[in-house]
Amino acid sequence: MVVIEQSAPLDVGVAVSPRRRSLRLLRSLGRGLAVAVPVLFIATFITYGLGALSKFSPANAVLGDTATKADITRMNHQYGLDRPFIVQYFSWVGRAVRGDFGTSWFTHIPVTQSIEQRLPVSLSVAVGALIIAVVLGTLVGIAAALNNGGWFDRAVTFVCSLLSTVPGFVAAIVLITVFAVSLPILPSGGYVGPSVNIGQWLKFLILPCLSLSLDSAADLARQLRNGLVGTLRENYVTGAVVRGYSTRRVVFVHALRNGAGPALAVLGLHVPRLIGGAVITETVFALPGLGQLAKDSALRGDVPVVQATLLVTIGLVLVSSLLVNIGLRRLRPGTGRAE
Amino acid sequence: MNTFRRSWQLRSAKISIAILLVVVVLVVFGHLLAPMNPLQQHDGQILKGPSSRFWLGTDYLGRDVLSRLLAGSALSVLSALEAVGIAFGLGVFPGLASVYLGRSFEWVSQRVMDGLMALPFIIFAIAVAALLGNGLHQAMFAVGILMAPGFFRITRAAAWSFNQAQYVEAAQLLGASPWRVIRTHIWNKVLPTVAITTANHIAGALLVVSSLTFLGIGVVPPTPTWGGMLASDLSYLAQQRWAPIFPALVIMLTVGALNALADAIRDSAGDSVRQTTGRRRLGRVQNVGAR
Amino acid sequence: MNTRRSLGATMGAAMLALAAACGGSATASSGGTGGAGGTLTWGWGLPSTWDPATSAIGNDTHALALTYAALTKLDVKGTAVPALAKSWKYNSDGTQVTFTLRPGLKFSDGTPLDAEAVKYNILRGRDGKGSNIADQLAEVKDVTVAGTTSVTLVLDKPDYQIPALLAGKTGDLVSPTAAKKNAAGLATKPVGAGPFILTDYVPDSHAELKKNPNYWDAKDIKLDKFVLKEAPDPSVAVAGLQSGQYDMATIPPSQIQAAKAAGLKIEANTTFNVRTLDVNGTVAPFNNPKVMQAISHAINRKELVKTAFFGQGEPDWQPFPKGYVGYDPSLDNLYSYDPGKAKQLLAEAGHPDGLKITLWVADAGDALAEVLQKQLNAVGIKVTLKVEQPGINNYLTRQYPLALDSFSGRESPVQALTVLFGQKGLMNLGKTKSGTFDNALNVVRATPLDSPKYAAAIQAATAAGVKSMPNTFLFSWKRIFAYKPNVSGLQPWVDTQRWEGVAVK
Repeated sequence: MVVIEQSAPLDVGVAVSPRRRSLRLLRSLGRGLAVAVPVLFIATFITYGLGALSKFSPANAVLGDTATKADITRMNHQYGLDRPFIVQYFSWVGRAVRGDFGTSWFTHIPVTQSIEQRLPVSLSVAVGALIIAVVLGTLVGIAAALNNGGWFDRAVTFVCSLLSTVPGFVAAIVLITVFAVSLPILPSGGYVGPSVNIGQWLKFLILPCLSLSLDSAADLARQLRNGLVGTLRENYVTGAVVRGYSTRRVVFVHALRNGAGPALAVLGLHVPRLIGGAVITETVFALPGLGQLAKDSALRGDVPVVQATLLVTIGLVLVSSLLVNIGLRRLRPGTGRAE
Repeated sequence: MNTFRRSWQLRSAKISIAILLVVVVLVVFGHLLAPMNPLQQHDGQILKGPSSRFWLGTDYLGRDVLSRLLAGSALSVLSALEAVGIAFGLGVFPGLASVYLGRSFEWVSQRVMDGLMALPFIIFAIAVAALLGNGLHQAMFAVGILMAPGFFRITRAAAWSFNQAQYVEAAQLLGASPWRVIRTHIWNKVLPTVAITTANHIAGALLVVSSLTFLGIGVVPPTPTWGGMLASDLSYLAQQRWAPIFPALVIMLTVGALNALADAIRDSAGDSVRQTTGRRRLGRVQNVGAR
Repeated sequence: MNTRRSLGATMGAAMLALAAACGGSATASSGGTGGAGGTLTWGWGLPSTWDPATSAIGNDTHALALTYAALTKLDVKGTAVPALAKSWKYNSDGTQVTFTLRPGLKFSDGTPLDAEAVKYNILRGRDGKGSNIADQLAEVKDVTVAGTTSVTLVLDKPDYQIPALLAGKTGDLVSPTAAKKNAAGLATKPVGAGPFILTDYVPDSHAELKKNPNYWDAKDIKLDKFVLKEAPDPSVAVAGLQSGQYDMATIPPSQIQAAKAAGLKIEANTTFNVRTLDVNGTVAPFNNPKVMQAISHAINRKELVKTAFFGQGEPDWQPFPKGYVGYDPSLDNLYSYDPGKAKQLLAEAGHPDGLKITLWVADAGDALAEVLQKQLNAVGIKVTLKVEQPGINNYLTRQYPLALDSFSGRESPVQALTVLFGQKGLMNLGKTKSGTFDNALNVVRATPLDSPKYAAAIQAATAAGVKSMPNTFLFSWKRIFAYKPNVSGLQPWVDTQRWEGVAVK
């Protein structure tokens, strides 16, 4: 989201030469990076500071029954925790840039290894949720707009509003109750890697992705519907209908292109949430993703893992924002007008 | 202020306000309205269904659910308000200031807010609560910080657009100080925007609190909260299938009323407000990170 | 909810076991094809590390027992019996014990499991960097080897507990080749001689194992594959079993009804698990024994079991469950539920108008804390519940003088009592010394396990600890498994869960 909002106001869709377009693309990429770097600095500083402020030390996690003061001091020295904060921070960042996040205080497993194992899970869920949100949101949004004021339209509005009042874990548990227990057609939780079995991978992803996507799908449907209802009233659409184009064609060619702007912007806002906000989904569906790693580590005071997962998530959010932003500018289906 | 007066006319606003008034009454007087001591464990009355004695049944320790819901209102709502209060303070004032205090402040404040926005919502809240002490206040502080950019951006955008208005320029030309301009000209105009954002964020904070409670963050037994009751009811589904419905309904009604009220204000506001807060419901935070 | 698991981890073995009990679940995956015994998918907490020497969490023992074997093992009742060693013999004064290994044993990497390998492991545990079993092995002065199958531990004082001590994590044998090559790698790649061999491992997610054909007791292992899978949230544990994600899972007692309704089988076993109050007896008001007695008399243990654990346990006044050799029946009802007496004791202790105390709990969802609060309140002890900062290791930091905890025993009862009541004991928060306990314990150490006096000696030590130390015991609680009807052969192990005879059709 960070970068997206930087791009506003979006220019109106005037024809631009390919060269100017790629130049503009470069410039927007550059501007994005110029924003991303200080942002990364601030976010990581907060992240690292959080660990330093906490009372935890590797001694808590590692040393057993008979740790002495000397043991603890030795351990803190071994982990470099007796250096000034700012030195620690920069040494952490320096190592992180090279992909070295240190070792878990608790499991002694290199943090990079844990993250590599979990990243595919989180990405699978996020991408899956994104796809479901786009497909579901678009279909429902269009259908509702065509049905403007009808029962379907009103039902969609109601359900979307309802969904936004339900805590995430309740929705997840309801989905499990329906699809894993009442109609036992999908697994209630767990994860199978795509390299093991693609079919199983998809099967295990359906419920968590659906649960995670509900919010975004509802938001998208609502935005698309509102945007489309607005556009469908505009003169040129009426003109097209008068000229005898089928409603379907009018919707897909004219209206969708113009009504999709705000919907895409909403999507942009949701992408970081899908990446960084799946803790509840991962918990209820027992998915070994980054969110759960962060949660479990935070609760056991495993500071290096918490810091690393936060850093990786922040990086992912920034990168995805950058990509969404560029994508938005490229597609730019008359975003300016819809705004 | 016309915006507010207009929005009160809407039916959805009237219903929302009625619900929210009830919630306010519950927050202030909930513990007095409770028919029983919400902490009293009634022997032999564990996980009972609704009856004439316990209107909404009893929980896993034989406590009266109705009394717990009523008495739990205060903590549930106030913790959400605490988070939004922090977000408000950290967002609105810097947001206004960023328009008037020169480019360097503008740049720094924007980058800081961007930095906050890049933090993954619920993971960060958990990390703060777990690493800095497992209290409700720590968790709410984290949520407040994370919500600050929402207030910052919207306030800033609103203030910016009004700042371009001719009468503001005129006031500035006449030598009015920035703070005077803000107080007399901008603030009133920004208010509807801020009100919409506040309502949406309170709703969002209520949901986030419930989710954190579900994860075991910031719970203070035996004090009841709506989210805590909902989370623990889910552990006893086999014994009482209907039990989660009551706390869930209370949360949903409150959140729904806040969202509807925000929509009503937005619908009654002028174009400028609609633009800065996005179209209807665009500015909503809802389950931000709560999944 | 789910935090139960993680919070438990910080409280050490016992709490983690509970945590897993609340969140755990085990299953044999539906895809269980292959051999006669099939595949079992068990929902349970994954180990903090696969290296038995550096593991700091008692609950790891269950997972480690999948990939490692030891010289001895505990039988269902908790008595040490032969495993990799087919027999052992003490010298006359109990200062040396000689184990005779079964012939031709191998680690899963092919390294011979001989007397030298045993020696290497004992010394690694005693002297190795970062070893968390060094204390238990400190009394081993020397290890001598005679031939390939005979190894002798020379002790610095008589101790007949060694065979029991070595039945768990302390005695799990690691391939010396693997440990010498990359000791740190053992955390994720165990190389042992256990019933199974790890084939795939994603920490905190799942571990896949296949049967080890060279396991000394391979004929009793029916399963071809074993999947250890991170336990689901308790609220969806039964759903996980129903939909085939697990064949077997630990469930909290609140889920028994749901599990039965779903057509699952239930096995509730009495284990070493006992809920306790950890107390720092050097901090006021807990430094007054009368206050602790008043607290104990104010507690209605029967109600605790019934309300907070759905009746799946038994009131207890000592750290062992009924039926175990260390269990002293005379301690039953040591502090009967007697609010009047509690008030009187409080008054005698100088608190006639009651008392305000803080009780630290690891898990906010633990109903037990709230019931305790009510019971103590009834005698004028106002209890503030504080959910402890997760991740704080109270055994080490000792910042909470009164903490709700759970104890899950140890392979050797002497070791268990030392953890609770020994001056350096993990759960002796005040690090106070009890002379009567220490003397009683020395008597036990010097008593051979097969001596007719052994039971009396260990029970006397239990009584001495319970009566002289502030630790308060509440009830023994059961480990509850829900499993699919096609799982057979489960046995009620009092300590580490084992898999001999278990099959999935």
